[in-house]
Amino acid sequence: MNPFRAFLVFFTLATSGVFGCAKSPAPSGGEVRAFTDDLGRTVELRQPVARVATVAPSLTEIVFTAGAGRKLVGVTTADDYPPAVDTLPRFSALPMNFEAVAALRPDVVLGLTQINNPRDAETFAALGIPMVFFSFRRLGDVMRVLRTTGDLLGAAARARAAADSLQRLVDDLRARSEAIEERPRVLFLIGDGTLFAFGPESYIHELIFLAGGQSITEDLTTEAPILSDEFVLTSAPDVIVGAFGEDYDPARLLALHPTWTVVPAIRDGRVFSFAPDLFLRPGPRLVEGARRLAARLHPSLFAAEATGERPSGERP
Amino acid sequence: MRKPVVTALLLAALLVVSTVAAVSFGSESIAFRDVLGVFRSRLPFVGGAAPDATVEQIVWQLRFPRALLAMIVGGGLSIIGVAMQALVRNPLAEPYILGISSGASAGASLFFLGLLPPLLTRALTMPLAAFLGGWLAITVVYLTARTGARVSVARLLLAGVAMSALMASLTSFITLVSPDPNRLRAVLFWLLGSLNGAHWSLLPFPALTAVLGLVCLTALARPLDALLTGEEPAFNLGVPVETVKRLLILLAAFVTGALVAVSGAIGFVGLIVPHAVRALVGVSHRRVVPTSFFAGAVFLLWADLGARAILPSQDFPVGIITALAGAPFFLALLRRNPYRFG
Repeated sequence: MNPFRAFLVFFTLATSGVFGCAKSPAPSGGEVRAFTDDLGRTVELRQPVARVATVAPSLTEIVFTAGAGRKLVGVTTADDYPPAVDTLPRFSALPMNFEAVAALRPDVVLGLTQINNPRDAETFAALGIPMVFFSFRRLGDVMRVLRTTGDLLGAAARARAAADSLQRLVDDLRARSEAIEERPRVLFLIGDGTLFAFGPESYIHELIFLAGGQSITEDLTTEAPILSDEFVLTSAPDVIVGAFGEDYDPARLLALHPTWTVVPAIRDGRVFSFAPDLFLRPGPRLVEGARRLAARLHPSLFAAEATGERPSGERP
Repeated sequence: MRKPVVTALLLAALLVVSTVAAVSFGSESIAFRDVLGVFRSRLPFVGGAAPDATVEQIVWQLRFPRALLAMIVGGGLSIIGVAMQALVRNPLAEPYILGISSGASAGASLFFLGLLPPLLTRALTMPLAAFLGGWLAITVVYLTARTGARVSVARLLLAGVAMSALMASLTSFITLVSPDPNRLRAVLFWLLGSLNGAHWSLLPFPALTAVLGLVCLTALARPLDALLTGEEPAFNLGVPVETVKRLLILLAAFVTGALVAVSGAIGFVGLIVPHAVRALVGVSHRRVVPTSFFAGAVFLLWADLGARAILPSQDFPVGIITALAGAPFFLALLRRNPYRFG
């Protein structure tokens, strides 16, 4: 425990003792519900939950999709979606600004194992704020976390409907892409200069497969590999997909890696870049990312996805 | 060692073997016959078709220029290490002791993360920003240490430490407030020191500065020997001490600045190679300077080979390898030999 945090905990305990337990760490009064989060911790939540703070942008999107957006009392400085977050108070999550979060008096803080430090929960607990951790490993986790969050925040019905709707989009994609025989070999890049990519334990390969491609970094041994130019040259991907933003100029990739002239994706002009959040932020918009990728990989098969149209009867 | 000619021949052979190894191995495996084929196709008169476009790109455009850059950077940093150790008469000295690498890091991060005014960014490239950062740092250090016509070595060291701390905290601040995670990862990779991205057109400037350093320091071998005995004895021996000191600082700024600009701050080479070489050939700079250059070149060639081959399909910052492989070797060396610094 660092000195600052230790002081914070001590201070909180001391003041709650002195001022007669104005805010005791253990929930009291009202119905208390035990909940096991993705770290296996048991968290007790006082019902109903009226105020929630999210410490990862993807969870903000989940809360809004679950139909509980009006219960959000604050989001991180990294949040930018949906537009409704613009009116909410902000705080820094890396490093966590515990004071700012505490001042928002949330009933629960939602965090992500991939981003937030599990020890943050101890500090929040000392402040009398329960923290729930979620984990995203597979695409299915988006729907699962969506349902759980809805349940947690008293918006179970709407969350279930939203999750079902997303699941239908996924199933629809899968039904059409499953039969594809000749899958283009796809290299997904997070960075264009230094070649950061996704290792085996990522949902990204699932997204690419759903879109009718085959990811080439699935069989690597490390979780966050930095690829060598040699790897790209010998594995010769048919398509390079980048999370470099929509207005990315593919010529820049060749300027940074002059040897790639022999790579099929570069030679055939099949470099596609998307808004990073559609792939890197593990939230409901991953499905949109998969649909747009499908439209670029197989334009004739997924014509509707290219325009962002949804199958009839779906709520946007 | 008694026979300098034998040492020189051994080092030359080692350098050739290391270069062959560096172009033959990497993150992908390529048959040695194909590697040879690429080089044969590049020879005048002999000709012959290159085996395959992909192999050609990997061997000739990636591995070979990168091997050459490893030699240049390894050799250059090692001789500047020698010069700095003689200048401050301290075995702990290394090329970055005057704040050049931390200044360069601050300059590079400022540029990388887009925090410089747009007008300035358009006129700069990343290596140039790093070079200027390094120069700014060493200029401040030099001006602090100078009193009249004299440069105080103690002040030089202290100002270097202070400047390094200042620039390092500036770099940390810049990377922490950076809004763009993609660029941030690129900067972290650069800060650790890497020869990734070496290509032919990148080589001439660092090669020229490194060779210039080698020539100048070899010519300065006698004054360097004298400096190790102390400034007063050196002065009594007829060495223009202040001029030599200034020249050494200028060389360090020029060579280290150019090398750090292209490769990031690759640590440890400039510290351990000079000591290892002294253990082999003695303390005379006439031998230490050229031997250090070639030994440093060989060392970084192997370290970079490790960086490229340690994880399949991946690139690894070589700065991690130099410390990882160099430190135990260095400790063993210190234990085994009756070691003498000056």
